Amino acid sequence: MSRDEELVGRCLAGDREAWDELVQAYSRYVYAICSQGYRLQGADAEDVFQEVFLRVYDRLGTLRDRAALRPWIAQMTRRACLDKLAAASREEVSDVEPTDIDETLAELDDAFAVRGAMAELPEECQEVLDRFFCRDESYRTIGDALAIPSGTIASRISRCLARLRQILDPTDG
Amino acid sequence: MAAKNGAGSIAALTAAAAARLIADVARETSGWKGSAGVVAQATALAERCEALAVEDAEAFTAALDALTNNSPDLVDRMVTATAVPVEIAVVAADVAEAAVVVAERCDGLLRADAAGAAALAAGAASAAAHLVRANLTVTADDPRLKRAEIAVDDARYSASRALDSGT
Repeated sequence: MSRDEELVGRCLAGDREAWDELVQAYSRYVYAICSQGYRLQGADAEDVFQEVFLRVYDRLGTLRDRAALRPWIAQMTRRACLDKLAAASREEVSDVEPTDIDETLAELDDAFAVRGAMAELPEECQEVLDRFFCRDESYRTIGDALAIPSGTIASRISRCLARLRQILDPTDG
Repeated sequence: MAAKNGAGSIAALTAAAAARLIADVARETSGWKGSAGVVAQATALAERCEALAVEDAEAFTAALDALTNNSPDLVDRMVTATAVPVEIAVVAADVAEAAVVVAERCDGLLRADAAGAAALAAGAASAAAHLVRANLTVTADDPRLKRAEIAVDDARYSASRALDSGT
């Protein structure tokens, strides 16, 4: 059973902590669709965020495939963003859809999948990958911070990336 | 004024080219399970160098402009024009380090390319550090210069390891 299937089951069983986990797990994703996909900012993004999680709360029981939670939330967020934009511009929903939205959402899905896989890595791998790829730190800075010889950082990053790849695609290698 | 490439941005582009080369060598090496990880790192380093090349050209041009026009912003612009070459030296040292990993594991036929990339990266680090040293706002005990010099030492050490690998 996937993490999402388990989470949906707990939410539907009335577990309040599960709802908090669901919101925490998907809040960045929903915000990213609003801001990067539809360029909604501030109060507009906040309105969509509230609307999406209200709908999730109301309609979670109608989700047929629990493993499809992420695309379901993505679809609901797209709809809410379009409604917001259409209401603001008084145009048809089809006229306010950004042309590159599918590409942007595919990139967000990839980023979200990598983020989820990163969370499954051992802490030292998370740390070293985050420092190199997200914070752009040099091998020496990473080595000094983690008390590891800087000459071994590149190999360590490679090993951690191989583990990340294995998590993302267990059939690979 | 259009941004002008000086030695700093050329050093960054040299390091970027070296990083792209080691990514290619890693990609073309057969039977090396960890090659994808090195390709990812080398690609990230190349992108970092390319961004620094643009940043350096802009900082260099702004500093030249301030110097020519005796601008009150001169000191600020010189400080910015120093900060970028320091970063170029540091990233170039990382390119040289990544090149060592590739030189030690790649196909023998490609080893000279990996070693050459390390030497190019070390040269880029040296050039960038020289620009830091030559900046009028930098003194001999300046921590920015120290950081650049450490990067040059690291890069030279990596280049010597890469050039010696496989012998």
